[in-house]
Amino acid sequence: MASVDIVNARKSYGDQEVIHGVSIGISDGEFVALVGPSGCGKSTLLRMIAGLEEITGGDIRIGDMIVNGLPPKDRDIAMVFQNYALYPHKTVAQNMGFALKLRKVSKSEIDARVQKAAEILGLIPYLNRYPRQLSGGQRQRVAMGRAIVRDPKVFLFDEPLSNLDAKLRVQMRAEIKELHQRLKTTTVYVTHDQVEAMTMADKIVVLHDGIVEQIGSPLELYDRPANLFVAGFIGSPSMNMFNGKIRAGAKPFFETASGARLPLAKAPESSDGRDAVYGIRPEHLSLGGDLNIKVTVIEPTGAETQVLGKVGEDKINGVFRERVTTKPGDLLAVSPDLSLVHLFDLKTGNRIG
Amino acid sequence: MPHALKRSLIYGALIIWTVIALFPIFWTFSTTFKVAKDVQLGHIIPWVDFKPAWLGLRAIGLSPDTIFTESTPRAEFVKRFWNSIQASFGASFLALIVGSMAAYGLSRFQYRWKIWKNNDISFFFLSQLILPPVVLAMPFLVLYKELALLDSMLGLILIYALSVLPIVIWIMKDQFDTIPQELEQAAMVDGCSVWGAFLLIILPIALPGMVAAFILSVILCWNEYFFAALLTSTNAKTLPVMVASQTGSQGISWWSMAALSSAAILPLIIIGVFLERYIVKGLTTGSVK
Repeated sequence: MASVDIVNARKSYGDQEVIHGVSIGISDGEFVALVGPSGCGKSTLLRMIAGLEEITGGDIRIGDMIVNGLPPKDRDIAMVFQNYALYPHKTVAQNMGFALKLRKVSKSEIDARVQKAAEILGLIPYLNRYPRQLSGGQRQRVAMGRAIVRDPKVFLFDEPLSNLDAKLRVQMRAEIKELHQRLKTTTVYVTHDQVEAMTMADKIVVLHDGIVEQIGSPLELYDRPANLFVAGFIGSPSMNMFNGKIRAGAKPFFETASGARLPLAKAPESSDGRDAVYGIRPEHLSLGGDLNIKVTVIEPTGAETQVLGKVGEDKINGVFRERVTTKPGDLLAVSPDLSLVHLFDLKTGNRIG
Repeated sequence: MPHALKRSLIYGALIIWTVIALFPIFWTFSTTFKVAKDVQLGHIIPWVDFKPAWLGLRAIGLSPDTIFTESTPRAEFVKRFWNSIQASFGASFLALIVGSMAAYGLSRFQYRWKIWKNNDISFFFLSQLILPPVVLAMPFLVLYKELALLDSMLGLILIYALSVLPIVIWIMKDQFDTIPQELEQAAMVDGCSVWGAFLLIILPIALPGMVAAFILSVILCWNEYFFAALLTSTNAKTLPVMVASQTGSQGISWWSMAALSSAAILPLIIIGVFLERYIVKGLTTGSVK
């Protein structure tokens, strides 16, 4: 086990820089998720930690050692790939024991460690099968087994669940989290699915276009997104956002571009007339109040009801625990929870209140 | 159409085609046992049209009455046969080693030589097949003379390896392209070097393709006549050259030519029957995912 420190890491292909100076500190035993839309550089960053991509600038440290020029085999890391990358000509046991065999570990020791890992992952009945004879979820477990028999300093996961169906994904999500709690190995987990990141990680790094947008615990990111990108990316369904101006005064409010008035608890200092973005999460709207939504679609799921509608010209989305009796075309009165309203600067996108 | 009729039509067509395909082989084998008169009169069916004789096998010292005696023709035949085996297996082995490495490089690493990139280099290799071998006759004659490789087995192996290399590279590159790169990356994370990943993980997976490439190049080298006739004489001469030389001043000795041809065909038939599925498997890997 070890900490991982990424200091101002850069990566370019020719003249094209794809990672623009990323710094992340990962402490020993932490589960960190790198999350972002496709093409944000999260996989590239992971592969830089693994040593599968060269580092153009900056430093990556695993434990006390700078690993910039070290080949993957000398970094003492284990990686789980999106397509599992199991060796098709080796059995499950051979797949899991391959790394130990390369390290000249004795046969009895390999058998013991493979057996132990297989027990943890429920793979005992499959040890003599070949990868092609296994289902997707079983292959996924073998890939994890291959990582854990090594007892490496760091686990790296590259979108390991994206090839599984929805139900299995939820199940494996819990298994990976449980595995981490049990082994307490430092883990870096890449995903484009913010729900995965939120549910599994101790700390989330939101990447966008090769820069870090925000680093924080899942709830920090949810409660206080640092900018518009994080606000829109974290949370499902995503946050409602309105462009307009802040109106300060005795009773401050926010005026949207189409003239609708949204309530504010208080305006940030000297912000009267400032161009801004007003954000409120769908689940932070409650029924009853003086904000009228013109309903367009109602989506009941049983546990909750999602209402899509319009405020002025802007779309709005509300999620309510109560049963909502309304129909498209009606006006629905709602009120935002004033303590959970987010304000962002329109130009920079940064949080102002 | 009733099922039975459909089946019998299909089987009928297949039987006709089998006869067409096997006839030349039958003709070659049966001619081994004919005398001059039978060949000229076009006698086909043994014991009906003609009475089998040991003439052909006697010519290469393999008939019952000569097989246990000293026989110069047999020594000559065995030497040529052994030369053919050395040349085709040696060259195929060499081409497979060099070609696999070249193909792996082209499949996995990005090269750049002036304006040429990987695809251009691949095409350059393959384009060597367009060139008729005759163009190379003079240069190779001069080159081999200077290098003292004329009439040597090494020289023959080298030029055969060179001539099958494009095909080997082509087949093997197709093989490697179908193997996901993550496998090597997983192997490297597991503790392999680049070479280790290639030898321990990639080569075993690419084995069907290697077998196909090897068999194909053995067949091509085994059948090769032009360079063997050009670059070899007494020492390194191969079986095809010996077959062709049966047209002497007293006319063509059909029986001995047929006996030699049969001996030359036999290894290919064995390869075809027993290893055909590897060839198909190896050559079609890229097509279905």
